[in-house]
Amino acid sequence: MDYLKSGLKSVLGAQADSQQPTAAETVERLVERVQTSTLLDDRRDACRALKSMSKKFRVEVGAQAMDALIYVIEMDRNDAEIVGYALDALSNVISGPQDDEDYIEGQEEQDLGTQFTEIYIKRTENVTLLLDLLEEFDFKVRWPAVKLFTGLLECRPKELQECVLVSPMGVSRLMDLLSDSREVIRNDTLLLLVNLTKGNANIQKIVAFENAFDKLLDIIAEEGYSDGGVVVEDSMAVLLNLLKNNSSNQNFFKEGSYIQRLTPYFELQGDSSGGDMGWSAQKVSNLHLMLQVIRTLVSPNNPLQVISSCQKVMNQSGLLERLCNILMASGVPADILTETINTVAEVIRGHHANQEYFATVSAPSSPPRPAIVVLLMSMVNEKQQFVLRCAVLYCFQCFLYKNELGQAQIVQTLLPTSADVTTITAGQLLCGGLFSLDCLSNWFAAVALSHSLVDNPTQKEQLLRVQLATSVGNPPISLMKQCTTILQQGGKVQTRLGLLMLLSTWLAHSTQAVSHFLSIPTNVPYLTSQVGLAEGDEHEDLVQGLCAFLLGICIEFNDDSVPSFTRENLCQLILKRIGQETFFDKLGSVSKHELYSRAAQKPHLKYKQASEVLFDYEFCRLFKSLEGAVIRAVQPKPKDLVNGPESNMTVQQHSLLQQYKDVIREQDQRLNELQKEFTELKSESEKSQSHIEEMTSTIQQLRDQNALLKAQRVASQSTERSGSPSSTDINNLQHEKEELQKQLENLEKNLKEQKDSCEKLKKELEEQKEKKQAEAQKQEPLVNDSELIGTIEQQRQEITELKQTISRLEEEVKTKKEISEEKQGELSKLAEEKRRLQQRLARVNDKNQKLEDEKSRIQKEKQKIQEELDSTKKEQEDLLILLTEQDNKLTTYKKKLRELGEKVEDDDEDDLNEDEGNDDEDIDEVEE
Amino acid sequence: MSYAYLFKYIIIGDTGVGKSCLLLQFTDKRFQPVHDLTIGVEFGARMITIDGKQIKLQIWDTAGQEAFRSITRSYYRGAAGALLVYDITRRDTFNHLTTWLEDARQHSNSNMVIMLIGNKNDLESRREVKKEEGEAFAREHGLIFMETSAKTAANVEEAFINTAKEIYEKIQEGVFDINNEANGIKIGPQHLPTNSNLPSGGQYSSSNQGGGCC
Repeated sequence: MDYLKSGLKSVLGAQADSQQPTAAETVERLVERVQTSTLLDDRRDACRALKSMSKKFRVEVGAQAMDALIYVIEMDRNDAEIVGYALDALSNVISGPQDDEDYIEGQEEQDLGTQFTEIYIKRTENVTLLLDLLEEFDFKVRWPAVKLFTGLLECRPKELQECVLVSPMGVSRLMDLLSDSREVIRNDTLLLLVNLTKGNANIQKIVAFENAFDKLLDIIAEEGYSDGGVVVEDSMAVLLNLLKNNSSNQNFFKEGSYIQRLTPYFELQGDSSGGDMGWSAQKVSNLHLMLQVIRTLVSPNNPLQVISSCQKVMNQSGLLERLCNILMASGVPADILTETINTVAEVIRGHHANQEYFATVSAPSSPPRPAIVVLLMSMVNEKQQFVLRCAVLYCFQCFLYKNELGQAQIVQTLLPTSADVTTITAGQLLCGGLFSLDCLSNWFAAVALSHSLVDNPTQKEQLLRVQLATSVGNPPISLMKQCTTILQQGGKVQTRLGLLMLLSTWLAHSTQAVSHFLSIPTNVPYLTSQVGLAEGDEHEDLVQGLCAFLLGICIEFNDDSVPSFTRENLCQLILKRIGQETFFDKLGSVSKHELYSRAAQKPHLKYKQASEVLFDYEFCRLFKSLEGAVIRAVQPKPKDLVNGPESNMTVQQHSLLQQYKDVIREQDQRLNELQKEFTELKSESEKSQSHIEEMTSTIQQLRDQNALLKAQRVASQSTERSGSPSSTDINNLQHEKEELQKQLENLEKNLKEQKDSCEKLKKELEEQKEKKQAEAQKQEPLVNDSELIGTIEQQRQEITELKQTISRLEEEVKTKKEISEEKQGELSKLAEEKRRLQQRLARVNDKNQKLEDEKSRIQKEKQKIQEELDSTKKEQEDLLILLTEQDNKLTTYKKKLRELGEKVEDDDEDDLNEDEGNDDEDIDEVEE
Repeated sequence: MSYAYLFKYIIIGDTGVGKSCLLLQFTDKRFQPVHDLTIGVEFGARMITIDGKQIKLQIWDTAGQEAFRSITRSYYRGAAGALLVYDITRRDTFNHLTTWLEDARQHSNSNMVIMLIGNKNDLESRREVKKEEGEAFAREHGLIFMETSAKTAANVEEAFINTAKEIYEKIQEGVFDINNEANGIKIGPQHLPTNSNLPSGGQYSSSNQGGGCC
């Protein structure tokens, strides 16, 4: 303080001793001076004072002087001294005084630093300014700049990292500092880089690109590897940051052959003969970090490709060998030994060549013992440190991971054939651990043994052959029997969980192991009673859950070879004795447990204390993969669907239910039969339906044909009727015939009348002749004459009438003839048609025949009529001739009369015309 | 494996021009039609032989997206060679070459060998940039030029090897200061004087030979 006071005095001038100014007032004055003084020396002095004050009065300087100090480093860059003071002051404000031994930073101070950092980086230019100052070679500037930057990074790493990334060449500048020949700067740069590379993959990659691996490994080598000081530790910290979860950098590290350069690091100096003397605290932390670097490269979380290529290089470069040497060396501190075991574990995990190498490593004892045996001895030794025992188990697990040969080797040491009394084997140690009184040993041994069975059906069967000699005189008992006996004896939770995990791994996917397990009669009752227990404490719950899981495995991988515990029986057992809900509840409680989910995360066992040791990664994997299968296996089959309500029934209800079931079954059967019948009938009916349809369609066709035929028939009949021998035709013809006959009769009558009249006329003529003769004789012919003329006229009329009738008849006959001729033509046509249709019209044929017969008959009749007509015609002609003769006679008579002097008027024509009308009427009458 | 020299390369160019595919084809001799966007920077390495000497190439494949530009700039300075890639089926990627070149020249050391690459020349039917244009651009800016196809592997080897040859020649000419690691060139371990600090130097070099990376 005296120094401070004197400093202040020199800056501020003499002050009144009576009034001591407060720190805030002093800072205020100094700031004012820095800002207002035109003289560089004044400003520099003020800055120096501020720097001094910043150690004790961090808050005051930070709150009041920050802007002024930033102003200085911005404006007074040419003067290294003042910039140095300002940077130092700022650094003290941000990180607290570094060179004060007594200073211990508490939470409050840390918050203070964070707040001031936020103020500083609010302007990104301030960060850029600082990066620029790092380029300044002057130690007075560079060193405090590095410290300030580190301080800022510690308080606000994310923001600073972003600033560095954004600023061009930011990382490059920081990396250049590593090459600074001044060790202080180089070393402080390492601290800066530790903070800079934390959790930012982009920066990590750029730093690696800037030859960080080379530079860091060079520094480590220079400093003497693990024997080096804190600088080595810092370098390792940067290295670890660069590689952690950064596969690009891991790849680069491997490709750049840097793994090989790590090997000398593990060279133990001076044989470690000095015991613990050779292990300084610094060396322990150096080695610890180095082992972390190795583990980062082969961590099970990395891409498989990176792991295996790194593992290969580590074996080839002799790194693994050196690690194994540390493992077997004496005097290695326990935590280094533990970490080395973990490292070796991960270097060999899943890599056959490395696993094989590890199997050959032996301890430098006499006789030499395999490293595995030595390690297992530590594991089952309760006096060993807990973390060390965990590490050994992890190493053992990694040795067996995907290593069938290793698994076989371990199981082999348990089999009777290879029993060698003189040497201690892994098998003996595991059995010893399994049945020791230390529950943690039980758990470790059980899990270790289970790893020799993982995914290896052969070893599961081999292990069934293992027999144990319990005590002298007693017969040997099988390993499985012994395990289950211990399990059933109760004991600590860890013992039982370990055994249950071992048994689960053993039985899973192995029907042989399951039947072996089931053939021990006490096992299933024990499991069911455990699962059926009311919930105990948290851990008891887990034991019950694993019992449920084991029971499930017994169902899932049961080949029904043990008659009392077939798959079916066990399912029934769960349903009747435990109840499904309870079973699933217990099973589910396992995966719900916090320690289960923690163990399931990664292979590495990370137990802080012995009480956390409950689950193992491989078992969690098995549980996860089989939980679903177990649930399915226990789930009732469809036929047991009514189980739920059934379980709470009395015997009577049960029998009643059985009855109903029988009834239902019967009904069901009947229903089935009926249904079958029904379907048969249905198909039949469908068939007949289609049959009927076919038939109706045929009928329809037939009907159509029929109709067609009928129509044809009708058509043919009508055509026949129109020209020939059908009945109506015949009637018509008969009618005609009758008419003709009537006419004929009329004509005959007429003819007779005419004849009569002719004869009358003849008589009259004769009478007249006689009269004439008489008149001529007596000369009185006049009276007779008029009478004669009347008769003649009458005769004339009659004759003309007859003539007309005859001509008409002639015409009629002629037309009839024509018609009949036409009809005959048509008839012949029809006959042809008929002949064609004869086959179809079988029924009609007969009729037709008849009709034809009739027709021919009618034809004959017609012919007869014609003949008659002809004869009539002849008669007519005769009559005509007669008439003409009479006419002639008449004319002669007239002539004679005229000659005789009688006036005879020729009115014939007029008379005839008058008569015609009457004739017509006559004809009409006849026709009717 | 031991090497005479180690060269650091960077691959730059617009997003989607096939930078990662070129690297994959060169280091793994395979083509992946579907590739995720590169985030930041990815690393790859291969050994080649020039003039009877083993030369190790360490290649940083950068993200083409603008968002990563500030990050990728950090890689210019330490690289001995750069492959500047454009896509012959996308003219805009050719048009951006000037910007890329300015950026590279500004941040890299002046001796950095830049190889201009017109990628995807298997897609002749979709070509938008003539080969002559690429040649002209390279001539104008003093670059080596080559058209490649990461898909068919055509000229991929040549692109990386010719760049290495150019760097090698510059070393022979004494243009590069091989002792400055910031130039992106390193001399192989057995070419250095044996490190006296190594407690087991003989063992070290023998294990180094057995390392067999690459």
